[in-house]
Amino acid sequence: MMLLLRELKIMLRSPAGAIQSLMFSVLVIALFPLAITPDPDQLEPLGIGLIWVVTLLSCLLAADKSLAGDYADGSLEQMVLSDYPLWWVCLVKSMAHWVSCALPLLLMAPILGAMLAMPLDRIVWLMASLVLGSPILSLFCMLGAMLTVGLNQSSALLPILIAPFLVPTLILGTQWATTGGEAFYGYMLAALLCLSLVTLPFATAVVAKIAVSR
Amino acid sequence: MLQIESLSCFRQDRCLFKDLNAKVLPGQALQIVGENGSGKTTLFKILAGLFEEYDGRVITAAGSLYLGHRYGVNDQLTPVENLKFLLKLNEIQLAPGLLMDALARFQLSAELDQPCAALSEGQKKRVALARLILTSARIWLLDEAFSALDAPGRAVLSEVCQAHLAAGGILIFSSHQGIPEFAAAAQLRLEVGS
Repeated sequence: MMLLLRELKIMLRSPAGAIQSLMFSVLVIALFPLAITPDPDQLEPLGIGLIWVVTLLSCLLAADKSLAGDYADGSLEQMVLSDYPLWWVCLVKSMAHWVSCALPLLLMAPILGAMLAMPLDRIVWLMASLVLGSPILSLFCMLGAMLTVGLNQSSALLPILIAPFLVPTLILGTQWATTGGEAFYGYMLAALLCLSLVTLPFATAVVAKIAVSR
Repeated sequence: MLQIESLSCFRQDRCLFKDLNAKVLPGQALQIVGENGSGKTTLFKILAGLFEEYDGRVITAAGSLYLGHRYGVNDQLTPVENLKFLLKLNEIQLAPGLLMDALARFQLSAELDQPCAALSEGQKKRVALARLILTSARIWLLDEAFSALDAPGRAVLSEVCQAHLAAGGILIFSSHQGIPEFAAAAQLRLEVGS
């Protein structure tokens, strides 16, 4: 709990990172109709996929920043040495990442959906799929960030490394929302979330030990 | 007690040190001496348990506290928040008064409510060092803790260290400046390219 409060406090005092990833997403969504077509009939089917891709990209882009600070000032070393279980530290970092880049997008989803002429029921399914899917993105992004933190080219390496692992989530999430809640996709997405929740923090913890010994 | 037995470490196929032996008993200090790049920081990381690719044995009979070149002070948090966080990492709960006293000892009373980004490098280091006053760890691993501090800061730090030794603690430290208070401490010398 103490760890989570610290993350939120740091985030609130330097909100530039969260605002930047939200601005990126809103801009992409706003520019899309201008570049492709303002015709609602053509835009509407693109909406779900577009907002999902934007969510995925903004999670990826924010990932390396979410750990760089802790690595540079030595907090990460101290967390590894602490009495707290390391998997819990990693889970908290993933939650903080989710709050800073996926949550603002989730809250903005009705407005973004309206900008792409999506009807209300599709927006609701989109948000449901983001609720289930975006935590998986954050868990994977934290694993990638931990793998590349402290390396010179981390921001270039991270997306290449992690993007393939995000594709199943993207497919299941968009399919679930597009089909209006077909049970198969929903169950698969929920199963993927449970699986990542119980495995990825432990994997990230192993990687964290390697990261601090570099 | 802290004991090092025939400790060797290779990094990127380069031998940092070979066959180190040392034994530090409660109440004793050990100075790690060596030029830049001789492996002092790696040795500290091994002793702290952060780096595990070595041969030989390290035996530590008590909890340790490691303060390295990067000492875990976040720029967005105030000195009090930073100190509280660092202490809670080792599940030490303290009355706020004690925190203030520890920070006051390191002359940080005036900067308590500004984020650490506004502090100088030396002041940030003092925030991390204030943790020494409150920790329950028996083994202190201070890698270059005396650098970036002014003369009064160094004086406070060596007082705190001496109190720790007097209470039966163990102090392992490295420093490129001579610290007169610890001139008599045992030394462990690391040679470049040995």
